[in-house]
Amino acid sequence: MKIDHLSQPVTMTNAQEKEMKKDRTIDLTKKSVIYLVLIGFAFMTVFPLVWMLLSSLKSPSEMLAVPFTLFPEKLQWGNFSRAFELAPFGLYMMNSFLTSIAIVLLQAGFSCMLAYGLTHIKFKGRSFIFNSLLISYMLPTAVTYVPSYIILARLNLLDTLTGIVISNAASVFSVFLLWQAFRTVPGELIEAARMEGASDWSILWKIVAPLRKSTIFIMSLISFIQMYNNYLWPSLVARSQENYLVTVGLRQFYTSQGSFSNNLPAIMAANVITILPLFIIFLIFQKWLIRGIGDTGIKG
Amino acid sequence: MKHKSLQFFGNLSIFIVLPLVPLLIFWFIPLAVSFWLSTTDWDYISPVIESVGIGNYQTIMNSSVFHEVLKNTAVFTLWTVIPTIILGFLAAILIQQIEKGRSLLKTLIFSPWFTPTVAISIVWSWIFQPDIGVLNQVLGWFNLPQPTWLQSSDYAMWAIIIVTVWKGIGWCMLFYCDAIERIPKDIIEVCQLEGTGPWQMIKTVYLPYTSPTSLFLIVTTIISSLQAYDQIQVMTQGGPSGSTRTLLYYYYQLAFEQFDMGMATALATIILVITGLISLLQFGLSKYWVHYQ
Repeated sequence: MKIDHLSQPVTMTNAQEKEMKKDRTIDLTKKSVIYLVLIGFAFMTVFPLVWMLLSSLKSPSEMLAVPFTLFPEKLQWGNFSRAFELAPFGLYMMNSFLTSIAIVLLQAGFSCMLAYGLTHIKFKGRSFIFNSLLISYMLPTAVTYVPSYIILARLNLLDTLTGIVISNAASVFSVFLLWQAFRTVPGELIEAARMEGASDWSILWKIVAPLRKSTIFIMSLISFIQMYNNYLWPSLVARSQENYLVTVGLRQFYTSQGSFSNNLPAIMAANVITILPLFIIFLIFQKWLIRGIGDTGIKG
Repeated sequence: MKHKSLQFFGNLSIFIVLPLVPLLIFWFIPLAVSFWLSTTDWDYISPVIESVGIGNYQTIMNSSVFHEVLKNTAVFTLWTVIPTIILGFLAAILIQQIEKGRSLLKTLIFSPWFTPTVAISIVWSWIFQPDIGVLNQVLGWFNLPQPTWLQSSDYAMWAIIIVTVWKGIGWCMLFYCDAIERIPKDIIEVCQLEGTGPWQMIKTVYLPYTSPTSLFLIVTTIISSLQAYDQIQVMTQGGPSGSTRTLLYYYYQLAFEQFDMGMATALATIILVITGLISLLQFGLSKYWVHYQ
C-alpha cells in the first residue's frame, strides 16, 4: 500500500510531463497563429504607406498599369524634383515647421503655468476652472471656427502665420497631460522650497518642470505632430500661397495637378515629402512616443 | 500680510489668468459669440446684423439636407468608433501575448496615426480608383464585387469609414496595451493555471480591467469622428450627391462656402448639444460597466 502510495506521484509526474509537452505544442501553434494574424494585420496597416512609396518611384505608365506591378522597373527619382518644381514644397515645409514649433513652445509654456496653478496653488474657483476645461475638452473645437475667424480678421491676422500660431496657443489636452503629471509632485517638496523663500515661478521652472520633463517632452511631441498634420483651420486662415502650410499646399497641389495622369507619380512623391519629416521624428522618438501615449491616458 | 496677498494675486495672474487668455479668446468667447450669431442672419459681409430669433434653428431642423446629414453622421460615427475600438482592443491583446517583435509590430500598426490625414487620403483615393486602383484589382482576383467606391453614393461613405478606422486603430491599441500591462500579473497567472479559454479571459479579465480606458477611448473617438473633415475634403468633398456630407462638413460648407454665418453657427450649436449629450450619456452609463480599481 505504502509503495503504491509513493509510486503514485511518480506516475502522475510522468503524465504531467506528457501533458506539458502537449501543452507546449499547443502553445507553439497558438503562438504561430497569433503571429500570423498580427503580421497580416500589420501588413494591412502599412500597405498604403508602402504603396505610396512605391508609386512615388514609378513612371506614369507604370502607375496606370492594369494589372498593377509592385516594383518600378527603374527608380524614377525625378518624380521628387518634379514635385519641387511644380510647387514650393520647401517653403510649405518651412512654414509648417516654424508654426508648429512656435505653437509647441507657447502651448508647453502656458500649459505648464496653468497646470502648476491648478495643482499647487490653492484658490477659490479652482475646481470650477478645472471642470470648465474638462467640459471644453469634450466638445468639438470646430464649432468655434466662425467666431475665431472673425476675431482673427479683427486682429488683422488673417492670412498670416502669426494668426495660425496665436489661435493655437492654448491646448486643453496639453493642460490635462501636465495636470496629471504635476499632481504627483509631492506638496511637501513645494512647501519646503517656499519656506526657503523661492517664488512659485522658480519652483515651477527649477523643480516641477525638470521633475516632469518626460511628460512635457511627450506633450510637445504629440502637439507637434498634431500641428504639422492640422489642415482645416490653417486652410481657412492661410489664403495666399506664401503662407500655406504643407498640408494646405499638398491638397492644393493635388487638386491642381491630380487630373493630369502624367503628374500622378509627382503627387505621390509630394506625399512622401510631406510625411518624411514626421517619419524621421517618429523613428528617433518612437520608444518615448509609444510608451508615452498609452501612459498619458487616464489612470484609475 | 499685505505683501503676502499681493504675492498671491501676482501668482494667480501669472499661473491662472495669463494662460487662460488664449483659451478665452479662441475658445470660450467664440462659443458665446457663436451662440449669439446663430440668432442672426449675418452673411459675413453686410454691416447690418438682423436678429431672427430661433429662425435659423427652425430652418435647419426642417430642412431635408439636415436630416440626411444627421443620418450620414450617425452612420459614420457608429461605424468608425465600433471597429476602431474593437480592432484596437484585439490587436493589443494579441500583441501582449508575444515577446519577440512586439515593439516592431506595435510601431507598424501605430504608423498610420502620425501620417497627415491629407497626405494619406490622397494615397487612399488612388487605392480606391475603380478601374486602375489596387483594391479593386485585388478584389477581382477573388471574384468579389468591385464597387466604384468614391464615385458611388452607396460606397463612398464606406471608403471614408475604412480610411478613418485604418488611421485610428494604432492609437486605441497603444492605450489598451498600457491598460493590459497594468492588469495584476497574478490574476492572469491564475487564469492560465485554471486553463481559462481566450473568450472567457476577455470577458472576465481583459474587458473589466480595461474598462476605464474603453470609456476614455469611446468618448474621445466619438468626438474625433464628429470632427472628421480632412479625409472627406480630400476624397469626396461631401459627395457624390451629398452621401458623405457629415454635420461638420455641412457646417464648413454653410460658413466658408456659402458664408451663411447665421445658419452655420446655429448648426454649430446643434453639433455642440449633440456632442454634449453623447458625452453625458456615456458618463451616465459608465456606472454600469466601468470598474475603477
